[in-house]
Amino acid sequence: MSIQKLSPVLATTYENFPKGRFITLIVIRTTQSETIFRTEGSGESMCNEFVQAGVTNDNIIQRLVMTKRKQVAPERRYGREHLRAHDLLFTNIKDNSICSLNTNAPCEMCVDCFLYGFAAGGGGAQKSRIWTEDAFSILPATDVVGDRTINAIYENGTMRDEKGNASTALNTSEYIKPGVHFLDVVTLKDVTTDELRYIIGNILFTSRYGAVSSRVGRMENQILGIFGSITELPSSLELVQATYDALGEPLEHPLNINRVITATKQVITNWQNRRGVSVQLSDEELTNLISDVETHWSEAERDTFLKRLSQSYEPFRQVAPDKNKGKGKGKNKNTPVEVEN
Amino acid sequence: MSTIPFSQAKLIELNCLEPVFFASRELSDTYYTEGLLGNYALTYALGWVNSPYRLQGQATGRPTYKEDFQTIAQSCYILPASPIGRVTFRFERFNALSDAYWYTMTNNRVATAREDLPLQRQGKKPSSFRASNFPQTGRLRMIERGNKFQTLVFGNQQLPDYIRLGKFASKVKVNVLKEFPVTLLPPGEYQSQFYLNVADLPTQIEVFAFDLISIPPAPILKNLHFRGAAWQIGEMIVPAGLHYCGRENRNE
Repeated sequence: MSIQKLSPVLATTYENFPKGRFITLIVIRTTQSETIFRTEGSGESMCNEFVQAGVTNDNIIQRLVMTKRKQVAPERRYGREHLRAHDLLFTNIKDNSICSLNTNAPCEMCVDCFLYGFAAGGGGAQKSRIWTEDAFSILPATDVVGDRTINAIYENGTMRDEKGNASTALNTSEYIKPGVHFLDVVTLKDVTTDELRYIIGNILFTSRYGAVSSRVGRMENQILGIFGSITELPSSLELVQATYDALGEPLEHPLNINRVITATKQVITNWQNRRGVSVQLSDEELTNLISDVETHWSEAERDTFLKRLSQSYEPFRQVAPDKNKGKGKGKNKNTPVEVEN
Repeated sequence: MSTIPFSQAKLIELNCLEPVFFASRELSDTYYTEGLLGNYALTYALGWVNSPYRLQGQATGRPTYKEDFQTIAQSCYILPASPIGRVTFRFERFNALSDAYWYTMTNNRVATAREDLPLQRQGKKPSSFRASNFPQTGRLRMIERGNKFQTLVFGNQQLPDYIRLGKFASKVKVNVLKEFPVTLLPPGEYQSQFYLNVADLPTQIEVFAFDLISIPPAPILKNLHFRGAAWQIGEMIVPAGLHYCGRENRNE
């Protein structure tokens, strides 16, 4: 089992204090349809950034950016869909409603709350143990962005309604072309084996990102490498720059995915000599791990898997026995969540 | 102070690989990051002290800087990081959405209770439509990717290659530029080029002039002109006896 190779950097159980265990996932995200990533609202241009093209190639180019929140939001939602389906979302104390994102009343008990975190005013907070990074396109934004004119016609099929008034629903907006590759580094801290399976599942099975994701935004994620270490590995910007150098010229859209994967793998092989890296999964071990994740998420095993994962937080949901009875309130220091192991 | 607790100091450069956000100032729905990196944030980010993953109960009421830093105050110290050159910022708009299929954006609130919609249409205000007390939409001023900061690290600690900073745990690269011995200068009039945390200043110095950057948890001074003992690190000068929460402890 390849997942056991990672055991030195996996936690045996959730603990409240960090213990310096890092797992790094190298992810390639490829758009399968037109996709929209923008931060300034409709009509604005795609998220992009002027950066150095490569590590050695010091031309400045404009790259597309898939920001960290645009990655993690759909991925945690995917996981939550299944938690909801398997009745693993808890009700919160505040208004007895079922756990829901962005309501200021998270349940603080479910798998999603424990892993991806929450911040509720006054009531407590949980840091996310999943650290994402802005992912960059390999090619310059100018090569991989297109324009679409959209017009919303009336039900009579024309741009004029039955009174003859012209429609104003005409707009031009930018989109990211299909077949654009984003390279990404995801860092996991102090996660357990089942948490790792849950997170990898979320990344692999999430298929829609960005705006208007019911129509566009189809994306395919692939994991190219997994590292275990005591420190963080290079950033996705450095990864994309090194890969750009490794690809060599000429580069034009659409890039052959196998060529990109080979170049990326070549770059990350050098990372095993970096300070702090203790484990790197080989290609075969990686394939085994992915199929292990798929088995756990399969129809047959999903229920058991998710319930077991949820069950692992049970000690933190219990109220500690009151050992200092009669000593007044505020003296009970044995709330399990606050115990440092 | 006659002895120097730290025999050496490292000049380090922090390179922002991602936009960095701290809520230094909050103006209406815009959240500003000041152009510096606080040393308490850096202390946590470097992993010298840890904060728990989950805060509950009384722990949410007050930060534990004093308790946390007490354990390491004798062995290391880091100054707030000052920008190399001009700081550039970027603005970003954010909005939060729920995981429901139906939602509506009302007055700073993403409402998801569809059954409240008929009430809302009658002009009544169901509670799920009232403004929320935590931000649902707004603008962030962040330190732009590619900005560089420098700071001094006192003590002999190993430094990681990368750290995570700010509200969004943005990746920052750490480069050690140079190591210097720390020498003690006798009391006199000095000018410090570095940013200094007010809470960490020694009590024995006389302060003449400074610029104040008012941010939580403690204000930061720059261009400090003072009289007192000083540490010299290469060509750089800082007041002698800098210490985590130094001012606090002596007042007690």
